[in-house]
Parts: sequence; C-alpha cells; structure tokens
Amino acid sequence: MIFLAAFHWGWLLATLLLGFAIGWIAVVHRGHGVSRSLARWLALLVAALLAAALARIVPGEPGYWLDLGLLMLGLYLIGCAIGSWLRAWVLPGSASAS
Amino acid sequence: MRGLVRWSSKWWPGTIPLAVLWAFAVWSNTGRLETELTGRSTAALNDILLDKRRVAVSGRDVTLAADAFSEEGRRSAVAAIEAVPGVRLVNNETRLLPEAKPFVWSAERDVVRVTLTGSSPMPASKGKLLEAARSDLGGVEVVDQTNLARGAPPRFDDAALLLLNQVAKLKDGKITISDNKVSLSGMARDLGGREAIAAALKNLPEGFSVAANEITAPPYVFQAYKDPVALTLTLTGYVPDNNVHAAIVAAATRKFFSEKVVDNLKASLGAPAGFANAAVPALGALSRLSTGTLVISDREVKLSGDALYDAAPGQLRGNLVKDFPQGWQLKADISVKPAAAPVDASVCQQLFSELLAKGTIRFESGRSSLDLDSAGLLDHLAEIALRCPTTNIEVAGHTDGDGDNAANLALSEKRAQAVVDYLVKAGLPAGRFTATGYGSGQPVAANDTDEAKARNRRIEFIVKEQP
Repeated sequence: MIFLAAFHWGWLLATLLLGFAIGWIAVVHRGHGVSRSLARWLALLVAALLAAALARIVPGEPGYWLDLGLLMLGLYLIGCAIGSWLRAWVLPGSASAS
Repeated sequence: MRGLVRWSSKWWPGTIPLAVLWAFAVWSNTGRLETELTGRSTAALNDILLDKRRVAVSGRDVTLAADAFSEEGRRSAVAAIEAVPGVRLVNNETRLLPEAKPFVWSAERDVVRVTLTGSSPMPASKGKLLEAARSDLGGVEVVDQTNLARGAPPRFDDAALLLLNQVAKLKDGKITISDNKVSLSGMARDLGGREAIAAALKNLPEGFSVAANEITAPPYVFQAYKDPVALTLTLTGYVPDNNVHAAIVAAATRKFFSEKVVDNLKASLGAPAGFANAAVPALGALSRLSTGTLVISDREVKLSGDALYDAAPGQLRGNLVKDFPQGWQLKADISVKPAAAPVDASVCQQLFSELLAKGTIRFESGRSSLDLDSAGLLDHLAEIALRCPTTNIEVAGHTDGDGDNAANLALSEKRAQAVVDYLVKAGLPAGRFTATGYGSGQPVAANDTDEAKARNRRIEFIVKEQP
C-alpha cells in the first residue's frame, strides 16, 4: 500500500484534487443525485470489488489495475467528502441556499 | 452528517474524469511498475544460490522459476521476493535441483581439446574447475558441458582439481569420478607420465579411491645407429637414469673401437625392467655388424644390419637370447655383407696392422678369456683373414713386464690361442693359424708407466704367404 502510494503519488494527488473539486461543487449542484437504490447497488459493487482485491483472486495485471482503481476511488471519495464538508463549513450560507 | 449523505449523491459526475484518470494511470504505469519490481526482485535474489533463475513480473505478481540447491534455498528465495515492497503474490515455480546418482564427472582429452561432462555440484565449483582446467592445460581448448546436480561426494572439488592436473599429463584419455571411485584410461603424453599420475593419485582426498587406472605409457625407445661411412655410432632415445646413461656410453665407447659415439640420450622414467642388461649386450651385437641399427622399444629389441661373415648372424642371435633378461624379445634381421675382394699377403698384413692400431684386443684381467667388448674388433679381424685365404697367420701374444717371465709367457700364449679359437669359430680353417706367446720379451715401449704397459699388452697378427 505504501509502495503503491509512493509509486503513484502524482496520480493519487490528482484524484484527491478532483474529488475535492467535485465535493466543493456538489454542495451547490442542482442536478439529479443518485437514487438511494442505485447507491446501494453501487456500494455493493464496490464492496465486491474490494473483497476481490483483498482476497487477491484477480491475477496479474488486472489485479494491479483493480488495486489502483480502488485506491483512486477511495481517495476520490475522501476528496469529495473533504470538499463538501469544507464548503459547508466555510460558506454555510451557500449550503443552506440549496 | 446528514448533509454529507445528501451531497454524496451529487458526487457521481466526477467518476467520469476519475475513470479517465485511472485509464491513463494504468496505461502509463503498468510497464514502469513491472520493470521496477523485476529489478527489485532480481536484486533480492542476489545472495541466494540458484541455477537457471528466471523472474517474470505481471502487474504486481512475480513468477519465480529456478533450480534450488536445497529446500532451505527454495524457501528463502520465495521469502526474499515476498519481502520486496510492492509485490503482491509470488508464484513459486522453483524446484529442487535433480540429484545425480551416481554422481559422475569426467574430463576427456583428445590431443587439442578437453571436454568436461557429467555433473558439477555448485556454480562456484563449476567455475573453479573450468578455470583450473584452463590454467592447467595452457593453450588447450576447454569445453564445459557439465550440468549442475546435487549429490556430489564430500571433497569433490579437491579430487576434481587434482585429476584435472593429471589430464594435463595425458596425450589422450579420460578421467572419471563416479561417486567416490576414480577411473582413468588413455595414454600418457611423456615417458614417466604414467608413473607421475600414479604418484599423484596417492594424494586423492580422503574417501576417494582408484577403481581402475588404465593409463598406458608411450613406448620407451632407445636407438643406436652405426654409420660405417661417417664412422659414428649415434645413440638416441631414453635411458632410465644418469648412471645407466654413463654405463651405456662407456660400454659403447669400449665396444665400438673405431666409431665416434654421438650421445643424444635423455634420462627418463618409465624404462622396462632390465633395460641396462638388455641394452649393453644388444650394443655388443651391433658392434659386430658392418652397418646396422638397433631399436629397443619397450621390451622388444630389433637388430638389423649386415654381419661380417656367415657364422656371425647365428652367433649373434644365440648370444643375445641367452643374455637378455626375462620377458625381452629379439627380432633380428641380419644379413651377411658380401665378401670383399681377396687381397695378397702384404695388403692383408697392412689391413691387420691398421685395425690393431685403432683397437686393442682385450682380455679379462690376468686371464686368457676374451673380453666381450672386443667381439666387434675380432669380427673385423676375421673378415680380413677371410680376404687372404692363401696366407698363414701367426697370432702373437705379448704381455707387459710385470710378473714373472714364465707366467707371462704362458699367459701370452694362452691369450693368442684364445684369439685363434675365436677366429676358428668364425669359420676360418684352424690350420692357417699358429698361436705364439712371447711373454714380455718384445716390448714396444718401456714398462715404466701404466700407459706404456697397456701398449705392451697386445696381440699382433703376422701374415705369411703359404708355402
């Protein structure tokens, strides 16, 4: 994990920043959100992929791609969470306006 | 927190650039990561002894294929790769190096090449043996076809190094170690090589033994050539040691009264038993030939040439067979020189005088038995006597001044008679010869020095026309 993070630090930083940006604008986004049932399916899918990665059942290069993808997704979500929370905390007005 | 759940339903648009980013990351990093992990894995295996090592990386999974020298080696190789940061899985395709039973190693030499075949225990000893072979066999091509295997006997390297050193002494042949038995075959390069190899084999490391030593030696050759034109006797080939060398040259000098001895002999080990006892009589036989060659090869004596009269070949063969040590063989190819033109009494006398000026008929000290070394001279005298069949010859014996007169007189007559007997055996009619003893009465030099006394002890031939 540490090796992966160190090896791909540029890409991971970009992911984090992307998440931060998306999280920042999500607060004032007026479009449709993901429905509750779809979110559940997506969570289930991610959980399954995570399980596959932890069990190391995907061999060779696809296994590596899966690991990297999950790592990037995780960082993206963390970036989103930080972005949204920070926007709501720094500019409470804009959050409540939505 | 409720807000975070609400906002998170709006995070989905970012997943599209995220997917693009991921695709780019995968595209640009997969090769780089695999190269990096290959390098690190290979470096991690540096201190672990493996044969036929192959490291393949796919994603973060490393496949290791190798022959290990022990179970411990297999385990530590896998553990070393597992410890490399970034490696996810290790596919262990290592196996234990096959065990050779029996463990056979051999070095085969033809004249220009040495080939190592069979099994070697470790890469280090394989390299060491190849290097040793190259340095021991300077200039000879060395081909290493050995494969690594387990199961070498203890101290294998020491044994193999010692044997490689012996390969250098072979002209061709093969040396094999099978477990702890050593077998050798082939021919030594030099005389004495076989003995040197046998001596070196005594230093084999403990536990090794010689199962078969079939190294043969090159033939031990001694040659003598009597050249009647150049008046030389050329000795070539080998003699066992310096004492025998000196003895043979001294015997040749005594036996060949008119030839110069050219000594090209070399001392070498490996002589067949009884060499000196065969070579000296064989040289004696050669001295009785007008021209001839003597070749001693191991225990076979080949004598060829021309004898001086009809009875000589038979005498030569008989004497040699009697004189040879046990196990020696004679191959005589002796013809008789065509008789020279007859001459009259005065020429005959001159020929006798010239010959006796070159050599002296010798007897055993104080006795009347002919010295064997004089046989060559006596044969030449007989040849001259055959050329003047119409003459009578007085054989006159003389002594030096030592001792009492009556005894000297008797001794000189007996010695003269011994010469006559020799000539009669050579086929000359006894009636042509008279043996006379003059004792010390007719000295040719004053009896004051050993040299002068030696000149006085002599046999003279006096030729008279038959009445």
